[in-house]
Amino acid sequence: MTQHILFNLLQVAVVLGFAPLAAGVLARLKEIVQSKRGPSVVQPYRDLWKLFHKDEVVSEESSWIFRFTPYVLFVTPIFVVLLIPVLTTYPLFLAFMGDMLGVGFVLALGGFFSTVAAVDAANPFGAVGASRTRMVSFLAEPVFMIVFFTVSFVAGSTIPYIVQQKWVTPIANFFTPSHVLLMIAFVMLILAEGGRIPVDNPSGHFELAMIDESKWLEYSGPGLALVKWGGQMKFFVLMCVFLNVLVTPWGLASGHTLGAVVLAIPLVLLKILGFLLVLVVIESSLAKLRLFRIVEFLGAAFITAVAAMIVQVFSA
Amino acid sequence: MIVVVILLVPVVAALLVLVPLGRRWMSGVTVVASIANLVLTGALALDVVAGRLPRELHDGGWSRWIAIDGLSALILVLIALVATTAAIYSVGYMEHGHLAVRKLRLYYANYNLFVFSMLAIPSVAEPTLAWIVVELTTLCSALLVSFENTREALEAAWKYVVLSLMGAGIALLGFLTLFASMQAAGGGTYTWAGLVEVAPRMPPLLLQTSFLLILIGLGTKVGLVPMHTWLPDAHSQAPSPVCALLSGVETTSILYVVLRMLPIIEAVPGAHAATWMLVLGLLSVGFSAFLLLQVHDYKRLFAFSTVEHMGIILTAVGLGASAAGYGAMQQVVNHSVTKSFCFFAAGAALLAVRTRDIASVRGLIRRSPVAGSALIFGGLAITGAPPLAVFMSEFAIIRAGLAQGKYVATGLLAVFIVIAFFGIMIHLNRMVFGADDDGPGNERHEPETAKFSLPASCNVALVLAAVPVLVLGVYVPEPLHRLIAMAAATLTR
Amino acid sequence: MSDGAAQLLDSLDALACGLFLLTSFGIVATRQARGCLQLFIAQSLLLAASAALLGLRFHAAHLYGVALVNLVTKPIIVPWLLRKTSPAGIYTRREVEQVLNIPVTLTISLALAIFAYFVGIPLARAAGPQFVGPNVPIGVAGLLLGALTLTVRREALPLLVGLLAMENGAFLAGISIARDLGMLVELAIATDGLVIVFIMGVLVRAVQQHVGTTAVGELASLRESGGQSGDAEVTT
Repeated sequence: MTQHILFNLLQVAVVLGFAPLAAGVLARLKEIVQSKRGPSVVQPYRDLWKLFHKDEVVSEESSWIFRFTPYVLFVTPIFVVLLIPVLTTYPLFLAFMGDMLGVGFVLALGGFFSTVAAVDAANPFGAVGASRTRMVSFLAEPVFMIVFFTVSFVAGSTIPYIVQQKWVTPIANFFTPSHVLLMIAFVMLILAEGGRIPVDNPSGHFELAMIDESKWLEYSGPGLALVKWGGQMKFFVLMCVFLNVLVTPWGLASGHTLGAVVLAIPLVLLKILGFLLVLVVIESSLAKLRLFRIVEFLGAAFITAVAAMIVQVFSA
Repeated sequence: MIVVVILLVPVVAALLVLVPLGRRWMSGVTVVASIANLVLTGALALDVVAGRLPRELHDGGWSRWIAIDGLSALILVLIALVATTAAIYSVGYMEHGHLAVRKLRLYYANYNLFVFSMLAIPSVAEPTLAWIVVELTTLCSALLVSFENTREALEAAWKYVVLSLMGAGIALLGFLTLFASMQAAGGGTYTWAGLVEVAPRMPPLLLQTSFLLILIGLGTKVGLVPMHTWLPDAHSQAPSPVCALLSGVETTSILYVVLRMLPIIEAVPGAHAATWMLVLGLLSVGFSAFLLLQVHDYKRLFAFSTVEHMGIILTAVGLGASAAGYGAMQQVVNHSVTKSFCFFAAGAALLAVRTRDIASVRGLIRRSPVAGSALIFGGLAITGAPPLAVFMSEFAIIRAGLAQGKYVATGLLAVFIVIAFFGIMIHLNRMVFGADDDGPGNERHEPETAKFSLPASCNVALVLAAVPVLVLGVYVPEPLHRLIAMAAATLTR
Repeated sequence: MSDGAAQLLDSLDALACGLFLLTSFGIVATRQARGCLQLFIAQSLLLAASAALLGLRFHAAHLYGVALVNLVTKPIIVPWLLRKTSPAGIYTRREVEQVLNIPVTLTISLALAIFAYFVGIPLARAAGPQFVGPNVPIGVAGLLLGALTLTVRREALPLLVGLLAMENGAFLAGISIARDLGMLVELAIATDGLVIVFIMGVLVRAVQQHVGTTAVGELASLRESGGQSGDAEVTT
């Protein structure tokens, strides 16, 4: 019991600690692909450190939502971490609280606050970014739903710990078309929700072309640090859901000892590094889509997810 | 062996055409090869009628790939006949265009290959091979349809190829399903005859699906409504002799494959194959009869009439009695000979007035008496005016339909045929006998009083093609009658 | 064959079919002509993979032949033939405006895929218990989606790819239910596919020379009412 609480806290610590690293590695890899040196992989930590030591400026016109939102964005991914398998194949202390739909709802709460806060600050770019983010998530939502429904249909459950076992017992299940199509659809979702190319350019500095970033233009100091850290954690969490639940539970600890769980940390990080490599290839080989082409991109994701469902449901 | 020779003749002719020995050589080779083939197929058909099939068709390795019976012999003769008249017609018609030798060589080589692919359809015994040669007919004739390289001709050729191949894709699935249903029935030889044998043991669902897929897929190529949209384009834009081949025999030779499915599908109780054919047939007749009224182009007129006639044949088969089967086969014969004549007449008119627009042609009979009278004769013949060939078969079909007690279908058929008669004759009558000044297009086409004389070979072809139209209206020769009866017998189990 | 190995082969074949379905969707919706061709090549490779896997699964040597024929003709000879016959311009074309916009097209394709399942599953069942698998329904879906491609696209290359994709779909269904079709027939069908590419290539070249466009689907002057067909002077 106490052990499981400890492991649960360890999961949170891993996500808190390594989320900026993942962001740094991704940025660095991209620069390397483009034949540049790029910033150090620990640059996100330095940024956070710097921001936490700066003063914060808050507009007098803004309401409590503006001040409250960074905390929501910071806390919701942590909350999600308590529910999903990050290091272990068995449920931990607080995992009973929610299934994969719960994960979606909790993340959506963060999305809601970020939208409201962006409008609250009355910066015109904020509102532009907010409405664009809504457009993207409005299109991504059905894909999420279809993915979850298909998953629950295959596994007979929406509990991530049950789902992840389904794909590898027997091993032939890994190659079922519904599994592979779901993975493809979910990668497209991660690109859309994480604000990556081809949907959004996270390293762009041109306000008019921004989708995600323009919501944070009014934030500064510790508030911005929390928002950034929260965003990095959200991305990390999405990758964990994808890699550990939807792809395979390989590398996770199945033993109940501290040693096994600690050993799982490098293995999970290795998986994430592998995924980041794939992501870099995708991002470097595609160009950012025009705003109205995003509909087609997510439409493709939708089709892929529904194809997975058709293949699974109708042949059963 | 005679079948192999029949198939080889056009291929050899296509190769000989490539030998550069001048214009006369190319047309000469084609005409000689066609006449030779007509003689060969005639001999084969007589053998079939007399019950003397060449021995190698009964046993040995051949029967797996090549098979001839009444139905296929009938189609073979028709193809060879129209190919001959069209080849003779081509001599003068193509010379008239003053084409480059290279272009003319392309024409004759393609012509012979096209004839080969059509002859192969009734000859092959294996259904998938039949599918392949059906594809070949499309591919061999595509460049003939686009021969004139105008915007319209290219468009027509493109539509023709795309829609035919689209249908072929659907039909391919049908043929593969047919094969699967034979496997499910415990195997056998995958030939038309073998299929008829094992048909009662096939799973009904598979068999029915394959029939529908083949009917829809190949129905596209036959030009059944609603898959007909390419047909008026392709059959009007090609050079006239090619139109005669396309409309006269290509459609029927594809229809042959669909008809081959009949005895197989009839093994399944409640398959409704006849109903499907009846509905598609009536739809085609009715739709084309009304579209005929608003056609602007007189070659399209005859093309639509092909859609109508395919519909009539299918309706007759759908009516289902043996008398209707005989009528359907007679209609196949009469349509082939009459429609090829119609396109020769249309080609003659085209040479005389150099436009396809109905509205700008008036008083054709004064400009070219031969073309004008041929056109009016062709129109009367194809719409079933007595005492010409088509009248006989349409009458037989309607009588058989009434005898079956299918009054609604037969009544509709009769009404549509009458509408089509008026649709065609109104246009043709104005074109041939109309006064020079009542056409809106006549400010461009000055009334030319100078008489126009057709090339000699066109006249010969017109006369040759008119003979069967006249003769078959009053008298069906005994061997032909027996052949038609044999063909009708193969339609049922 | 052990149970586990058979199961693995089954699910690998199902995977090939699933990805095949995905490429069919892609062919309908890809704007770039070149992308369409690449998707078609991927589709043919998946078809070959499925044939090889089924051959391995059911010890049908003939299916290896199908796989080999597909590997040689479609990814290698088809692009080569196209380069020889058609104008180079057909690759670089993009369709900015399709007949229907892409989300609508994709929705229709989804409906078609579901319909294909309703048709295909009973069909495969009727053929026998050993044929139940995704090949038949996904093959039917491939056929229907190819037909949809032909109706919504206007550019020459996507249209050609749509035609060939229809044939691929029919084959995907065929290799599972008609395993012992003769090799001669198989080769003849493959040759036939190449003739299609050749003839269409020549036609596209002619259209580009005489009309000046490769958007062949936009040619629509031949109609009953209001058409210009009557005004065309005859050149023969």
